[in-house]
Amino acid sequence: MSVKYIPVQWNPNKYIYDAVMLLGVGLFLYVFLYASPGILSHERPINPQVHNARAFGACAFVMLTVILCIGPLARLDPRFLPLLYNRRHFGVMTVFVAITHAGYIVDWYFAFSSSNKYEALLFANTSYGQLAGFPFEVFGIFALFTLILLAATSHDFWMKFLSPPVWKRIHYLIYPAYLSVVAHVSFGILQDQQNHAFTMIFIGGAAAVGILQLIAALKERRADQELASEAVEWVPVCDVSEMKEGFAKIKLLANGERVAVYLNEGKLSAISNACAHQNGPLGEGQIIDCLVTCPWHGFQYDVTNGRSPAPFTEKIPTYNLKTEGTRVLVDPRANPPGTYVEPVPAGATS
Amino acid sequence: MSDKDRPFFVGYLPAPKALRGLLLAVCVLFISGLAGFGLALGIAQDDPGEGAFRFDYGRQTVTGVVELTPYPLLRVTEGNERIPAGHTLMLAGGGKTNVESRAIPLEGQLAQVSGVLLERGSLDMMQVRGGRNGLQAAEGEVPVFETIPLGRWKLAGEICDGKCLAGAMRPGRGLAHKACANLCLLGKVPPVFVSTQPVDGSEFLLITGPDGGHLPESAYHYVAQFVSLEGEVERRGDLLVLRLDPDTLEVLE
Amino acid sequence: MNQAEAILMGLRIWGSIGAVVAAIFLTIGMDRIDEDARGAYIFRPLLIPGILVIWPLVLWRWYLYESGRELWARRYDPPRRAHFAVGWILPIGICLIILTGLSLRQTWPAEIAPVQLSGPAEVSQ
Repeated sequence: MSVKYIPVQWNPNKYIYDAVMLLGVGLFLYVFLYASPGILSHERPINPQVHNARAFGACAFVMLTVILCIGPLARLDPRFLPLLYNRRHFGVMTVFVAITHAGYIVDWYFAFSSSNKYEALLFANTSYGQLAGFPFEVFGIFALFTLILLAATSHDFWMKFLSPPVWKRIHYLIYPAYLSVVAHVSFGILQDQQNHAFTMIFIGGAAAVGILQLIAALKERRADQELASEAVEWVPVCDVSEMKEGFAKIKLLANGERVAVYLNEGKLSAISNACAHQNGPLGEGQIIDCLVTCPWHGFQYDVTNGRSPAPFTEKIPTYNLKTEGTRVLVDPRANPPGTYVEPVPAGATS
Repeated sequence: MSDKDRPFFVGYLPAPKALRGLLLAVCVLFISGLAGFGLALGIAQDDPGEGAFRFDYGRQTVTGVVELTPYPLLRVTEGNERIPAGHTLMLAGGGKTNVESRAIPLEGQLAQVSGVLLERGSLDMMQVRGGRNGLQAAEGEVPVFETIPLGRWKLAGEICDGKCLAGAMRPGRGLAHKACANLCLLGKVPPVFVSTQPVDGSEFLLITGPDGGHLPESAYHYVAQFVSLEGEVERRGDLLVLRLDPDTLEVLE
Repeated sequence: MNQAEAILMGLRIWGSIGAVVAAIFLTIGMDRIDEDARGAYIFRPLLIPGILVIWPLVLWRWYLYESGRELWARRYDPPRRAHFAVGWILPIGICLIILTGLSLRQTWPAEIAPVQLSGPAEVSQ
């Protein structure tokens, strides 16, 4: 939300977030790389390159699993929203860890032949017609390319340039990528592994992601059904008495748009529920210092005109409102972003 | 949707007091969890086997008769303390390469071979030095070695690349290693069949294609899986050679 | 040229075109379509990898902005319903993949003994 783009907008919370994330990742790698060889009582050690590749591969899997749990956790309980706040740094770090894993693999298993190692990666195993012995490397390649794409388009510029919905559609690729990672593990190391502590951790992690995503989706579906309205003109939102000062009621319109109706200083205003930054749910935020504040990254808007305070320039659509008795009604036709709408007095109920 | 008492986190502001306990707990759980998973996954790794490059033996130089199966073998006539006379050595080049171009002109002749040994139990292989120092003709009388046919066998086990299996890589077998094994086989590194139980005293057999050819590429799809197969087995000194009948390859249930 | 070489060559060509697009977009295009980018240069190298990968989309979006065909309404319509699709595809996919993987696992058939099918005398070669 800066006026001018900078590489990273640091703040104290991001420092803490990154420090905790890096400490966790660093500890995982340190323990795997340096503590576990002493505990393994193998007659001859695993090749260092393979040991390193496994450490970074396992770390990338665990990181990706944690990342994919954050989204549904925050949708299930807003108290976890701080974990979402700087998730992109977590994602970018995961890419570096995954690239390191791929590097060790390519430089070990696919090196030492008379062919280029990247070509060898593609042609060494061509058993595409079978499940056992399938070249599981391609699942890893797909996931790695996807992660690189997502990290490479994570700067705020991309969200604005691509528009948040297009950006979000691209970033939904994280889900096929995760399935691909699961396949990469299932058709790769899982086939050989004899120690089933590994199997249990792998299945547990993947199951946590799957179950959390399912529960969050079901909850959201239920909530959406309550919010939905088929009305074409003047959609009823709620009764004025249900409104709380500084908070919003969300309505899902027939065309799929969401409106957030806010009660601010005793007056009602309606804005788009989608934040201009990443389409975060503005109606789940609250008013701070007379400004609607997005629960995801704290972008702020004047509730009467949908404009961010100067020097910021973000704008969101506004909606026209009226009250009939104590009922709040919203016109489902959005005004262009930044259009001022006179707030509607909420009456004696405020 | 909203609750007045709900703590509201804004990224660029200090975290609300009501959330700090939870966030601290998440941080502690995250850091200790990652360390724990690092340890659990690190120590869950399987034993990669005892195969190894025996650099500790130093460079080995022996003399013998070169045979082609078509993978080159050396029937040792003049050995040393590590490699006795009468032993049959499989020969490979550096990395995922072979020494066939150097061995073919010497077929049936006495040659001196020099390189480093790879060893896994009773399985061994020599990684031959580059150039003439690695493989060169030797003077002397060429003894006659016989090849004893042992008939047609049906075996169960795994097709591996002999070099990684013998210790060039740890682990050097299994499906996670399959692409690497195929790449070795494409480089004509001698492939080895690991039998579930010994055949005439040996669980490792050099495996070749039928009619004196290399392992056919159709067999690559079965590499690293547990398969059953049929083929002619022959004894060349202390090494068994299995001439695969590719049509009999079957993945075991 | 084998298929692997062709794929890598294709990637190199894709990336090379992306590099040209990146050079033009980051020096000329960006300032024309995004006021927040004017005067901001340090962050631009960060965008290069993204442009290398999705340069056709970059060109398309650039065209939309230049031609005024970028519709504001589309910017506020996030694909939230996709969460529901993800919510059931992901767990089902994870289950299917892992179960398939587990069902393929083989155990070393140590109990199968070698069988001699015919003796050496019968070997024709």
